[in-house]
Amino acid sequence: MRDTAETVLALLPTDVQYGDIRVVRRTHEQVLVELDGPGEVGYDDSLGLGLRVLIGGQWGFAATHRLDPRGLDAVIAQAVGQARATGGGGHVNLGEPVTTRATWSSPMRIDPFEVPLSTKLDLLSATVKEASTAGPLVQQIEASIDLYRDEKVFANTEGALIEQTLTESGGGLMVNAGNGDDLQRRSFPQGVPRQIRGQRGDFATAGWEHVESLGLVENAARVASEAVALLTAPQCPDEITTLIAGGNQLAMVLHECAGHPMEADRALGTEASLAGGTYATPERRGNFRWGSPIVSAYADATIPGGLGSFGYDDEGVPAQRTQLVKDGIFLGYMSGRESSAALGDQPTGASRADGWQRLPLVRMTNICLEPGESSLEEMIAGTKRGILVDTNRGFSIDDQRMSFRFTTELGWEIRDGKLGRLLKNCSYQSVTPEFWAGLDALGGPDEWKLHGVPSCNKGEPLQVAHVGHGTVPGRFQNVQVGR
Amino acid sequence: MSIERTDIEQALEILGPGSRLDVLGENADLLRYAESEITAQHSERRLRVRVKVNRDGRIAGGTLETLDPEAVRILADRLNAALAELPTSDSTHGASDQPVGDGEQVPVEPAKSIVDCDPAVRHEWFSTVRDGLDPAARLGGAIRYDVLDRVVADSTGLFRSETLTKASIQAIAKQDGQSASVKLVHRDADLIPVGDIPGRLREALRPLPVREKFHGSCRVLLKPSAVNTLIATFGLWALGAQHYASGRSVLTGRLGEQVVSENLTLVDDATDAAGLLSGFDAEGNVRRRTPLIERGVLTGLVSDRRRAGLTGGIPTGHAVPDGWRFGGDPVPSHLLLDAGDATEDELLAECGSGLVVNRLDYLRVLHPKQTLVTGTTRDATYWAEDGKVVAWHPQLRFTFRMDEVLNAVRAVGAVREIGDQTFMDSVVAPSLLIEAGPLVLT
Repeated sequence: MRDTAETVLALLPTDVQYGDIRVVRRTHEQVLVELDGPGEVGYDDSLGLGLRVLIGGQWGFAATHRLDPRGLDAVIAQAVGQARATGGGGHVNLGEPVTTRATWSSPMRIDPFEVPLSTKLDLLSATVKEASTAGPLVQQIEASIDLYRDEKVFANTEGALIEQTLTESGGGLMVNAGNGDDLQRRSFPQGVPRQIRGQRGDFATAGWEHVESLGLVENAARVASEAVALLTAPQCPDEITTLIAGGNQLAMVLHECAGHPMEADRALGTEASLAGGTYATPERRGNFRWGSPIVSAYADATIPGGLGSFGYDDEGVPAQRTQLVKDGIFLGYMSGRESSAALGDQPTGASRADGWQRLPLVRMTNICLEPGESSLEEMIAGTKRGILVDTNRGFSIDDQRMSFRFTTELGWEIRDGKLGRLLKNCSYQSVTPEFWAGLDALGGPDEWKLHGVPSCNKGEPLQVAHVGHGTVPGRFQNVQVGR
Repeated sequence: MSIERTDIEQALEILGPGSRLDVLGENADLLRYAESEITAQHSERRLRVRVKVNRDGRIAGGTLETLDPEAVRILADRLNAALAELPTSDSTHGASDQPVGDGEQVPVEPAKSIVDCDPAVRHEWFSTVRDGLDPAARLGGAIRYDVLDRVVADSTGLFRSETLTKASIQAIAKQDGQSASVKLVHRDADLIPVGDIPGRLREALRPLPVREKFHGSCRVLLKPSAVNTLIATFGLWALGAQHYASGRSVLTGRLGEQVVSENLTLVDDATDAAGLLSGFDAEGNVRRRTPLIERGVLTGLVSDRRRAGLTGGIPTGHAVPDGWRFGGDPVPSHLLLDAGDATEDELLAECGSGLVVNRLDYLRVLHPKQTLVTGTTRDATYWAEDGKVVAWHPQLRFTFRMDEVLNAVRAVGAVREIGDQTFMDSVVAPSLLIEAGPLVLT
């Protein structure tokens, strides 16, 4: 892979102002067990390269799976041809050169690809068996493990050469219950859309030890029982009330309300065609009240185990921490080299590509809330009337990341400081700064937990990023909840 | 065709009995632009080899980026080892060994305008649209050309191949705080009327006052792009045989019943040149014209081999690829909603006072069984009075039941447009005028 990268850079024509290449091998192993037995075992292996060149101030990018001499010649011709076709006359500022030469591997204790298949099948089969004890209304159970490894070589014409290996492990459980009139789903440890395989459960940039820590077997019966109980649970009422969101649920709210809007390319308008723009425009930095004074948020790609952690991004910039919101005020962006230069900033190391075949885009890393001073128990005790919600079921947010609606797998009513009945079809909607302005309590450091979400979509062609979210439970006042 | 038959046959020989290959040679070229400047160009050449081995109900699979025999052999060894550890299963997940049924695959002729395209053509398209707009307007969007070589073959001798082409242009223009968009899709780039786009965008961005948000229920005119999203989402969740059989569809048990407005007739047909074309699905089943809704009555579903029992024992040709990110169950792929006879002006006149929605964005399912969804309007949402567009309406969020909206169709437009979705190859749809009631503006 390293030889391929160096060969391609050496073959670039002299009018290339800047070029970079990524040679990436991605390995994926999936094991799935369903209610009626082992489902599927899958092994994916993808190797290729992506080449980006700048000629006359215009970009060209080409990617290929063919790493033979003809394939390399062709990919150079395509990238160069594209850049030249624009006719020059452009100006791209990449800021300071990146000349790092380094090797980095993500930490892990147990290599998940070395764990026998029988161990994986046993774990998932035991999980399904426990879940099936919830009774005949359980219609569907799926327990899965997904393991990823990216071996990446990045090199550029400025002299950088970086080799990285990232290993990610995750697993999850999904249970569907039905009684003819209604269907209800419960997921564990966190919710993702049912239909998306390979992206279910909680993930970390770690080894098999993360899968073992999830407690799939231990929680399976409870989760399945909740799915059954939801069938006959009362509907979430329509009202404006106090909402307490569990950390699991708040992870996705943070993702949509702070993560995407504070990606610099959205602020610069380059994502308008698909994802849209953002309320977090450059002139609002430092003066836009994003939320209540008790909320601060940051992006940090250096957190050990975070699914958005790495050594260097896909432009060779070191992983780092970036403050996004401080004391409720919007402060900064995640950015790549070009977008940071356009904003007059230093790059924050947030430029990442989905595999070898896609262009690096500004992608969120690990978006985290700074913990507060309360606790979930205290928040509930201090609430006369409200709702506690957890585990995301679905969401929608507008193209400026303002108006949103989230729905959760389950909720509980809160009456006079105590949890009451289980509620189904809980949903809430608001507008980003109004919602976060209503935040009056956050869980403390003991409740801070990192969630790994392997299903962040962005770009054209579509790219899927693996990201992390560090959150605590939070309490929000005056939120519209209901169906 | 970039995929050699001999390479396929050699790979199947290595993989052994019970194996199936779904091979894609993907060639994608893309030009992206924002703020009226080109921001990115992208060229992707990829060979995606999906392997599935099914022996005695035990299933293992994988993907490769090559048909190199050594790589296939390594994968085959891993799959054989995995199969040895799996118990024999009589479960129904995965493809059965049912025959793919009779019928000839419809031949699809790739468009030379896309196969032979030079990058300069995409630059010309971009310039045509940008230069045709008001100088104050800012243009964003993307132009994409795709050439897709497909082969599905298995160890029983099945071999199907085709080359598909597709071009698309999305143009989003912003001016004076408002935006409008056009997306055109066709299998032949020469048949995309790029020259019409600036005029459509200028017309959509015409100066109008901005009214306050309307609250309550009113008639809503959904233009073709909005209907495309609505119909595709409804089809994804309600019209697949597996969803129907498992009770996850709102239509479960209602074959032969009136399920939506009698103004609606919907078919899935990958052989109809009004949409994009394709001859076979990911299992190699021939794609068949499948009537789904006839004047509001549910008449059919789409199926793969596993659920062929619900479609007369023959799969309709709607198996999805292994590992497809939207699930493993059969879903519609090429929907066509019949046109009506109302011109766009007549629809507007009948709308009277109401909302005109050009685009539904981020439409997401909240409750599949109820077809409850939420989403927002995007790009050119207007208010009409007395059958005339009189004002911009602020972007708004809708939360509604799709079946209720489709049951309240008052009139259907005569002009259809081709669109696509990330989860559906093509959708051909006209405008729909929705009666006041199911869409409430809050």
